[in-house]
Amino acid sequence: MATMAMTNMFASDQLAAVGGLRPGEVTTGTTIMAVEFDGGVIIGADSRTTTGAYIANRVTDKLTKVTEHIYCCRSGSAADTQAIADIVKYHLDFNRMEMGEEPRVHTAANVFKEMCYDHRDSLSAGIIVAGWDKRGGGQVFSVPIGGMLQRGPFAIGGSGSTYLYGYVDAMFKPDMKQEDCLKFVSNAVALAISRDGSSGGIIRMAAITKNGVERFTLTGDQLPKFYEDN
Amino acid sequence: MSILAYNGAAIIAMKGKDCVAIAADRRFGVQAQTVSMDFDKVFEMGPHLFVGLPGLATDVQTISQRLKFRLNLYELRENRRIKPQTFMSMVSNLLYERRFGPYFVEPVIAGLDSKTNQPYIASMDLIGCPMITDDFVVSGTCSEQMYGMCESLWEPDLSPDDLFETISQALMNAFDRDALSGWGGVVYIIEKDKVTKKLLKTRMD
Repeated sequence: MATMAMTNMFASDQLAAVGGLRPGEVTTGTTIMAVEFDGGVIIGADSRTTTGAYIANRVTDKLTKVTEHIYCCRSGSAADTQAIADIVKYHLDFNRMEMGEEPRVHTAANVFKEMCYDHRDSLSAGIIVAGWDKRGGGQVFSVPIGGMLQRGPFAIGGSGSTYLYGYVDAMFKPDMKQEDCLKFVSNAVALAISRDGSSGGIIRMAAITKNGVERFTLTGDQLPKFYEDN
Repeated sequence: MSILAYNGAAIIAMKGKDCVAIAADRRFGVQAQTVSMDFDKVFEMGPHLFVGLPGLATDVQTISQRLKFRLNLYELRENRRIKPQTFMSMVSNLLYERRFGPYFVEPVIAGLDSKTNQPYIASMDLIGCPMITDDFVVSGTCSEQMYGMCESLWEPDLSPDDLFETISQALMNAFDRDALSGWGGVVYIIEKDKVTKKLLKTRMD
Protein backbone atom coordinates (compact mmCIF):
# COMPACT_ATOMS: atom_id res chain seq x y z
CA MET A 1 0.00 0.00 0.00
CA ALA A 2 2.52 2.64 1.12
CA THR A 3 5.22 3.41 -1.44
CA MET A 4 7.34 6.21 0.01
CA ALA A 5 10.87 6.32 -1.34
CA MET A 6 13.83 5.32 0.77
CA THR A 7 17.44 6.44 0.49
CA ASN A 8 19.17 4.82 -2.45
CA MET A 9 21.42 1.92 -1.86
CA PHE A 10 19.86 -0.63 -4.19
CA ALA A 11 21.96 -0.78 -7.37
CA SER A 12 18.99 -0.16 -9.65
CA ASP A 13 17.85 2.78 -7.50
CA GLN A 14 21.33 4.30 -7.58
CA LEU A 15 21.65 3.87 -11.31
CA ALA A 16 18.16 5.32 -11.79
CA ALA A 17 19.14 8.35 -9.71
CA VAL A 18 22.29 8.86 -11.80
CA GLY A 19 19.91 9.12 -14.73
CA GLY A 20 20.71 5.96 -16.62
CA LEU A 21 18.02 3.42 -15.70
CA ARG A 22 14.39 3.69 -16.55
CA PRO A 23 11.74 2.11 -14.27
CA GLY A 24 11.36 -1.56 -15.05
CA GLU A 25 14.69 -1.74 -16.84
CA VAL A 26 16.65 -4.94 -16.39
CA THR A 27 20.00 -4.66 -14.61
CA THR A 28 22.92 -6.94 -14.11
CA GLY A 29 23.39 -5.59 -10.56
CA THR A 30 26.19 -7.94 -10.16
CA THR A 31 29.65 -9.11 -9.19
CA ILE A 32 32.34 -9.17 -11.87
CA MET A 33 36.09 -9.42 -11.73
CA ALA A 34 39.16 -10.01 -13.83
CA VAL A 35 42.66 -10.95 -12.70
CA GLU A 36 46.02 -11.13 -14.53
CA PHE A 37 48.00 -14.28 -13.90
CA ASP A 38 51.14 -15.93 -15.21
CA GLY A 39 50.11 -16.68 -18.82
CA GLY A 40 46.87 -14.73 -19.28
CA VAL A 41 43.79 -13.51 -17.44
CA ILE A 42 40.96 -15.10 -15.49
CA ILE A 43 37.55 -13.43 -15.65
CA GLY A 44 34.60 -14.27 -13.44
CA ALA A 45 31.02 -13.23 -12.75
CA ASP A 46 27.82 -14.29 -11.00
CA SER A 47 24.71 -15.08 -13.08
CA ARG A 48 21.86 -12.96 -11.70
CA THR A 49 19.83 -10.40 -13.68
CA THR A 50 17.17 -8.44 -11.80
CA THR A 51 14.21 -6.21 -12.64
CA GLY A 52 13.87 -4.42 -9.32
CA ALA A 53 13.82 -7.28 -6.81
CA TYR A 54 12.57 -9.94 -9.25
CA ILE A 55 15.27 -12.25 -10.57
CA ALA A 56 14.59 -12.17 -14.29
CA ASN A 57 17.42 -14.51 -15.25
CA ARG A 58 19.31 -16.73 -12.79
CA VAL A 59 21.73 -18.23 -15.31
CA THR A 60 22.91 -15.11 -17.17
CA ASP A 61 26.21 -15.08 -19.03
CA LYS A 62 27.87 -11.77 -18.21
CA LEU A 63 31.18 -12.74 -19.80
CA THR A 64 30.87 -11.62 -23.38
CA LYS A 65 33.29 -12.26 -26.22
CA VAL A 66 34.42 -9.32 -28.31
CA THR A 67 37.30 -11.04 -30.10
CA GLU A 68 38.82 -14.52 -29.97
CA HIS A 69 41.15 -13.47 -27.14
CA ILE A 70 39.33 -10.51 -25.58
CA TYR A 71 36.27 -10.66 -23.35
CA CYS A 72 34.31 -8.10 -21.38
CA CYS A 73 32.51 -8.45 -18.04
CA ARG A 74 29.22 -6.52 -18.01
CA SER A 75 27.52 -4.76 -15.10
CA GLY A 76 24.80 -2.11 -14.97
CA SER A 77 21.99 -1.93 -17.50
CA ALA A 78 21.74 -5.22 -19.39
CA ALA A 79 20.48 -3.50 -22.55
CA ASP A 80 23.20 -0.83 -22.55
CA THR A 81 26.05 -3.27 -22.00
CA GLN A 82 24.78 -5.71 -24.62
CA ALA A 83 24.42 -2.92 -27.17
CA ILE A 84 27.88 -1.53 -26.40
CA ALA A 85 29.52 -4.96 -26.59
CA ASP A 86 27.89 -5.64 -29.97
CA ILE A 87 29.16 -2.36 -31.39
CA VAL A 88 32.64 -2.86 -29.95
CA LYS A 89 32.72 -6.36 -31.44
CA TYR A 90 31.98 -4.87 -34.84
CA HIS A 91 34.69 -2.23 -34.50
CA LEU A 92 37.29 -4.78 -33.43
CA ASP A 93 36.37 -7.12 -36.24
CA PHE A 94 36.90 -4.22 -38.66
CA ASN A 95 40.18 -3.38 -36.95
CA ARG A 96 41.34 -6.98 -37.28
CA MET A 97 40.70 -6.91 -41.03
CA GLU A 98 42.43 -3.57 -41.49
CA MET A 99 45.51 -4.47 -39.42
CA GLY A 100 45.83 -8.10 -40.50
CA GLU A 101 46.38 -9.22 -36.92
CA GLU A 102 44.40 -9.76 -33.73
CA PRO A 103 43.43 -6.50 -31.99
CA ARG A 104 45.23 -5.59 -28.79
CA VAL A 105 43.44 -5.62 -25.43
CA HIS A 106 44.39 -1.97 -24.98
CA THR A 107 42.65 -1.15 -28.27
CA ALA A 108 39.48 -2.99 -27.26
CA ALA A 109 39.46 -1.20 -23.91
CA ASN A 110 39.80 2.14 -25.66
CA VAL A 111 36.87 1.43 -27.97
CA PHE A 112 34.75 0.62 -24.91
CA LYS A 113 35.96 3.78 -23.22
CA GLU A 114 35.15 5.92 -26.25
CA MET A 115 31.54 4.72 -26.29
CA CYS A 116 31.05 4.86 -22.53
CA TYR A 117 32.53 8.35 -22.21
CA ASP A 118 30.93 9.96 -25.25
CA HIS A 119 27.46 8.73 -24.23
CA ARG A 120 28.01 8.93 -20.48
CA ASP A 121 24.77 10.84 -19.85
CA SER A 122 22.58 8.18 -21.43
CA LEU A 123 24.33 4.98 -20.37
CA SER A 124 24.56 2.88 -17.22
CA ALA A 125 27.46 0.58 -17.99
CA GLY A 126 30.28 -0.64 -15.76
CA ILE A 127 32.58 -2.81 -17.86
CA ILE A 128 35.79 -4.74 -17.27
CA VAL A 129 37.78 -5.57 -20.41
CA ALA A 130 40.26 -8.44 -20.17
CA GLY A 131 42.15 -10.61 -22.60
CA TRP A 132 45.42 -11.70 -24.08
CA ASP A 133 47.44 -10.32 -26.97
CA LYS A 134 50.89 -11.27 -28.21
CA ARG A 135 52.49 -7.90 -27.44
CA GLY A 136 51.37 -7.43 -23.85
CA GLY A 137 50.26 -10.87 -22.66
CA GLY A 138 47.35 -10.89 -20.23
CA GLN A 139 45.87 -7.47 -19.47
CA VAL A 140 42.91 -6.19 -17.43
CA PHE A 141 41.26 -2.80 -17.96
CA SER A 142 38.47 -1.18 -15.95
CA VAL A 143 35.89 1.05 -17.68
CA PRO A 144 33.55 2.09 -14.87
CA ILE A 145 30.43 4.29 -15.12
CA GLY A 146 31.44 7.67 -16.53
CA GLY A 147 33.88 6.23 -19.01
CA MET A 148 37.34 6.41 -17.49
CA LEU A 149 39.95 3.85 -18.47
CA GLN A 150 42.39 2.26 -16.04
CA ARG A 151 44.71 -0.68 -16.39
CA GLY A 152 45.50 -2.80 -13.32
CA PRO A 153 46.67 -6.22 -12.20
CA PHE A 154 43.05 -7.01 -11.34
CA ALA A 155 39.67 -5.30 -11.39
CA ILE A 156 36.38 -5.79 -9.56
CA GLY A 157 33.02 -4.31 -10.46
CA GLY A 158 29.28 -4.36 -9.95
CA SER A 159 27.19 -3.91 -6.83
CA GLY A 160 28.70 -7.00 -5.17
CA SER A 161 32.25 -5.73 -5.57
CA THR A 162 31.84 -3.39 -2.57
CA TYR A 163 32.09 -6.49 -0.36
CA LEU A 164 35.34 -7.57 -1.98
CA TYR A 165 37.75 -4.64 -1.71
CA GLY A 166 39.29 -5.89 1.52
CA TYR A 167 39.37 -9.49 0.38
CA VAL A 168 41.11 -8.84 -2.94
CA ASP A 169 43.58 -6.36 -1.44
CA ALA A 170 44.57 -8.97 1.15
CA MET A 171 44.58 -12.07 -1.06
CA PHE A 172 45.87 -10.97 -4.46
CA LYS A 173 49.34 -12.10 -5.50
CA PRO A 174 50.94 -11.23 -8.86
CA ASP A 175 51.90 -14.06 -11.25
CA MET A 176 49.67 -16.77 -9.78
CA LYS A 177 49.25 -20.11 -11.49
CA GLN A 178 45.97 -20.66 -13.39
CA GLU A 179 44.36 -22.93 -10.76
CA ASP A 180 45.24 -20.56 -7.90
CA CYS A 181 43.87 -17.65 -9.84
CA LEU A 182 40.64 -19.55 -10.55
CA LYS A 183 40.34 -20.25 -6.82
CA PHE A 184 40.93 -16.58 -5.99
CA VAL A 185 38.20 -15.44 -8.41
CA SER A 186 35.68 -18.11 -7.41
CA ASN A 187 36.19 -17.44 -3.69
CA ALA A 188 35.75 -13.72 -4.21
CA VAL A 189 32.61 -14.02 -6.34
CA ALA A 190 31.16 -16.53 -3.84
CA LEU A 191 31.72 -14.11 -0.96
CA ALA A 192 30.01 -11.30 -2.83
CA ILE A 193 27.08 -13.56 -3.79
CA SER A 194 26.68 -14.45 -0.14
CA ARG A 195 26.18 -10.80 0.90
CA ASP A 196 24.81 -8.95 -2.16
CA GLY A 197 21.12 -9.42 -2.97
CA SER A 198 21.72 -8.38 -6.58
CA SER A 199 24.31 -11.15 -7.14
CA GLY A 200 23.66 -14.88 -7.15
CA GLY A 201 23.07 -18.02 -9.13
CA ILE A 202 26.13 -19.78 -10.53
CA ILE A 203 29.72 -18.62 -10.95
CA ARG A 204 30.93 -18.36 -14.52
CA MET A 205 34.65 -18.04 -15.20
CA ALA A 206 36.92 -18.05 -18.21
CA ALA A 207 40.66 -18.39 -18.62
CA ILE A 208 42.10 -16.48 -21.58
CA THR A 209 45.62 -17.40 -22.65
CA LYS A 210 47.59 -17.60 -25.87
CA ASN A 211 45.89 -20.95 -26.48
CA GLY A 212 42.44 -19.45 -26.49
CA VAL A 213 39.54 -19.39 -24.05
CA GLU A 214 38.55 -22.10 -21.58
CA ARG A 215 35.20 -21.62 -19.81
CA PHE A 216 34.25 -22.89 -16.36
CA THR A 217 30.96 -23.02 -14.47
CA LEU A 218 30.48 -23.63 -10.75
CA THR A 219 26.96 -24.65 -9.79
CA GLY A 220 25.18 -25.64 -6.56
CA ASP A 221 27.50 -27.44 -4.17
CA GLN A 222 30.57 -26.56 -6.25
CA LEU A 223 30.37 -22.94 -5.02
CA PRO A 224 32.99 -22.18 -2.36
CA LYS A 225 31.49 -22.25 1.13
CA PHE A 226 32.35 -20.02 4.05
CA TYR A 227 31.36 -19.96 7.72
CA GLU A 228 27.65 -20.43 8.27
CA ASP A 229 26.08 -21.18 11.60
CA ASN A 230 23.97 -24.14 10.56
CA MET B 1 11.82 1.53 -3.02
CA SER B 2 8.81 0.71 -0.84
CA ILE B 3 9.29 0.64 2.94
CA LEU B 4 7.74 -2.83 3.05
CA ALA B 5 10.59 -3.99 0.77
CA TYR B 6 13.43 -2.37 2.76
CA ASN B 7 14.40 -5.53 4.65
CA GLY B 8 12.79 -8.25 2.51
CA ALA B 9 10.95 -11.37 3.67
CA ALA B 10 8.96 -14.40 2.51
CA ILE B 11 6.35 -16.17 4.64
CA ILE B 12 3.75 -18.84 3.82
CA ALA B 13 1.15 -20.62 5.95
CA MET B 14 -0.73 -23.68 4.70
CA LYS B 15 -3.55 -25.91 5.91
CA GLY B 16 -3.25 -29.68 5.92
CA LYS B 17 -5.25 -32.58 7.32
CA ASP B 18 -5.61 -31.74 11.05
CA CYS B 19 -2.40 -29.73 10.86
CA VAL B 20 -1.05 -26.37 9.74
CA ALA B 21 2.40 -25.30 8.64
CA ILE B 22 4.08 -21.91 8.65
CA ALA B 23 7.37 -21.26 6.91
CA ALA B 24 9.65 -18.24 6.52
CA ASP B 25 13.01 -17.24 5.10
CA ARG B 26 15.80 -16.23 7.50
CA ARG B 27 17.39 -13.23 5.86
CA PHE B 28 17.90 -9.93 7.56
CA GLY B 29 19.06 -7.41 4.99
CA VAL B 30 19.27 -3.70 4.43
CA GLN B 31 18.17 -3.17 0.85
CA ALA B 32 20.59 -5.21 -1.25
CA GLN B 33 23.03 -6.03 1.56
CA THR B 34 22.50 -9.20 3.61
CA VAL B 35 23.41 -8.61 7.24
CA SER B 36 22.51 -11.92 8.86
CA MET B 37 21.00 -15.28 7.96
CA ASP B 38 19.40 -16.28 11.25
CA PHE B 39 16.73 -13.64 11.73
CA ASP B 40 13.47 -14.93 13.22
CA LYS B 41 10.25 -13.82 11.61
CA VAL B 42 7.91 -16.50 13.01
CA PHE B 43 6.93 -16.13 16.65
CA GLU B 44 5.22 -18.57 18.98
CA MET B 45 2.18 -17.02 20.60
CA GLY B 46 0.79 -20.17 22.16
CA PRO B 47 1.53 -23.91 22.12
CA HIS B 48 -0.33 -24.23 18.80
CA LEU B 49 -0.45 -20.63 17.58
CA PHE B 50 2.21 -18.91 15.48
CA VAL B 51 2.44 -15.55 13.78
CA GLY B 52 4.73 -14.76 10.86
CA LEU B 53 5.75 -11.13 10.44
CA PRO B 54 7.25 -9.99 7.13
CA GLY B 55 8.04 -6.35 6.49
CA LEU B 56 10.16 -3.68 8.15
CA ALA B 57 12.41 -5.52 10.63
CA THR B 58 12.08 -2.99 13.43
CA ASP B 59 8.29 -3.29 13.27
CA VAL B 60 8.55 -7.11 13.08
CA GLN B 61 10.27 -7.09 16.45
CA THR B 62 8.12 -4.34 18.00
CA ILE B 63 4.85 -5.93 16.89
CA SER B 64 5.84 -9.39 18.15
CA GLN B 65 6.71 -7.89 21.54
CA ARG B 66 3.57 -5.71 21.82
CA LEU B 67 1.38 -8.58 20.64
CA LYS B 68 2.85 -10.94 23.21
CA PHE B 69 2.20 -8.29 25.87
CA ARG B 70 -1.49 -8.00 24.94
CA LEU B 71 -1.79 -11.77 24.64
CA ASN B 72 -0.35 -12.30 28.11
CA LEU B 73 -2.86 -9.89 29.62
CA TYR B 74 -5.69 -11.61 27.74
CA GLU B 75 -4.66 -15.03 29.04
CA LEU B 76 -4.34 -13.73 32.60
CA ARG B 77 -7.79 -12.16 32.50
CA GLU B 78 -9.55 -15.03 30.70
CA ASN B 79 -7.53 -17.76 32.38
CA ARG B 80 -7.41 -19.79 29.17
CA ARG B 81 -5.55 -20.04 25.87
CA ILE B 82 -6.69 -17.67 23.13
CA LYS B 83 -8.51 -19.03 20.06
CA PRO B 84 -6.78 -18.39 16.71
CA GLN B 85 -9.79 -16.41 15.43
CA THR B 86 -9.71 -14.13 18.47
CA PHE B 87 -5.95 -13.72 18.13
CA MET B 88 -6.44 -12.63 14.53
CA SER B 89 -8.84 -9.93 15.71
CA MET B 90 -6.29 -8.87 18.33
CA VAL B 91 -3.60 -8.44 15.65
CA SER B 92 -6.02 -6.61 13.40
CA ASN B 93 -6.95 -4.22 16.20
CA LEU B 94 -3.30 -3.59 17.07
CA LEU B 95 -2.56 -2.62 13.46
CA TYR B 96 -5.70 -0.52 12.88
CA GLU B 97 -4.95 1.54 15.99
CA ARG B 98 -2.14 2.94 13.85
CA ARG B 99 -4.35 3.49 10.78
CA PHE B 100 -2.72 6.81 9.77
CA GLY B 101 0.86 5.99 10.69
CA PRO B 102 0.97 2.22 10.28
CA TYR B 103 3.38 -0.49 11.27
CA PHE B 104 5.03 -1.80 8.11
CA VAL B 105 4.25 -5.47 8.60
CA GLU B 106 1.71 -7.72 6.83
CA PRO B 107 1.24 -10.62 9.26
CA VAL B 108 0.41 -14.25 8.62
CA ILE B 109 -1.26 -16.35 11.34
CA ALA B 110 -1.32 -20.13 11.64
CA GLY B 111 -2.72 -22.26 14.45
CA LEU B 112 -4.96 -25.02 15.71
CA ASP B 113 -8.02 -24.28 17.82
CA SER B 114 -7.16 -25.43 21.35
CA LYS B 115 -10.54 -27.14 21.94
CA THR B 116 -11.53 -28.50 18.52
CA ASN B 117 -8.03 -28.77 16.96
CA GLN B 118 -9.41 -27.25 13.77
CA PRO B 119 -6.65 -25.80 11.54
CA TYR B 120 -6.79 -22.02 11.05
CA ILE B 121 -4.78 -19.68 8.82
CA ALA B 122 -5.19 -15.99 8.07
CA SER B 123 -3.23 -13.02 6.75
CA MET B 124 -3.73 -9.30 6.82
CA ASP B 125 -2.49 -6.08 5.30
CA LEU B 126 -0.49 -3.47 7.19
CA ILE B 127 -3.60 -1.73 8.55
CA GLY B 128 -5.25 -4.89 9.78
CA CYS B 129 -7.63 -6.00 7.06
CA PRO B 130 -7.97 -9.74 7.62
CA MET B 131 -8.21 -12.49 5.03
CA ILE B 132 -9.14 -16.00 6.18
CA THR B 133 -8.65 -18.83 3.70
CA ASP B 134 -9.01 -22.58 3.55
CA ASP B 135 -5.83 -23.32 1.61
CA PHE B 136 -2.80 -21.05 2.02
CA VAL B 137 -1.76 -17.48 2.76
CA VAL B 138 1.43 -15.71 1.68
CA SER B 139 3.14 -12.44 2.52
CA GLY B 140 6.44 -10.78 1.68
CA THR B 141 8.55 -9.29 -1.10
CA CYS B 142 8.06 -12.32 -3.34
CA SER B 143 4.33 -12.75 -2.75
CA GLU B 144 3.60 -13.05 -6.48
CA GLN B 145 6.11 -15.88 -6.79
CA MET B 146 4.71 -17.53 -3.65
CA TYR B 147 1.14 -17.32 -4.98
CA GLY B 148 2.25 -19.04 -8.17
CA MET B 149 4.04 -21.83 -6.29
CA CYS B 150 1.21 -22.38 -3.76
CA GLU B 151 -1.50 -22.34 -6.40
CA SER B 152 0.34 -25.06 -8.31
CA LEU B 153 1.58 -27.26 -5.46
CA TRP B 154 -1.16 -27.12 -2.81
CA GLU B 155 -3.89 -29.68 -2.56
CA PRO B 156 -6.35 -30.29 0.29
CA ASP B 157 -5.85 -32.74 3.16
CA LEU B 158 -2.09 -33.12 2.98
CA SER B 159 -0.53 -35.17 5.77
CA PRO B 160 2.03 -33.45 8.02
CA ASP B 161 4.98 -34.93 6.08
CA ASP B 162 3.49 -34.05 2.69
CA LEU B 163 2.55 -30.60 3.94
CA PHE B 164 6.16 -30.07 5.02
CA GLU B 165 7.42 -30.97 1.54
CA THR B 166 4.82 -28.82 -0.18
CA ILE B 167 5.32 -25.70 1.90
CA SER B 168 9.11 -26.03 1.75
CA GLN B 169 9.19 -26.34 -2.04
CA ALA B 170 6.69 -23.51 -2.46
CA LEU B 171 8.72 -21.19 -0.23
CA MET B 172 12.17 -22.07 -1.59
CA ASN B 173 11.35 -21.88 -5.26
CA ALA B 174 9.55 -18.58 -4.69
CA PHE B 175 12.32 -16.87 -2.75
CA ASP B 176 14.95 -18.17 -5.14
CA ARG B 177 13.45 -15.74 -7.64
CA ASP B 178 13.62 -12.80 -5.23
CA ALA B 179 16.77 -10.79 -4.61
CA LEU B 180 15.55 -9.65 -1.16
CA SER B 181 14.54 -12.91 0.52
CA GLY B 182 16.04 -16.30 1.15
CA TRP B 183 19.40 -17.06 2.74
CA GLY B 184 17.93 -19.95 4.72
CA GLY B 185 14.47 -21.17 5.63
CA VAL B 186 12.54 -22.43 8.67
CA VAL B 187 9.32 -24.49 8.74
CA TYR B 188 7.01 -25.15 11.70
CA ILE B 189 4.58 -28.07 11.38
CA ILE B 190 1.83 -27.75 13.97
CA GLU B 191 -0.13 -30.88 14.87
CA LYS B 192 -2.47 -31.47 17.82
CA ASP B 193 0.14 -33.24 19.94
CA LYS B 194 3.42 -31.69 18.77
CA VAL B 195 5.11 -28.86 16.93
CA THR B 196 8.10 -29.68 14.74
CA LYS B 197 10.60 -27.01 13.72
CA LYS B 198 12.86 -27.76 10.74
CA LEU B 199 15.59 -25.68 9.16
CA LEU B 200 15.80 -25.81 5.37
CA LYS B 201 19.07 -26.18 3.48
CA THR B 202 18.73 -23.53 0.80
CA ARG B 203 20.78 -21.54 -1.69
CA MET B 204 22.55 -18.78 0.20
CA ASP B 205 22.35 -16.15 -2.49
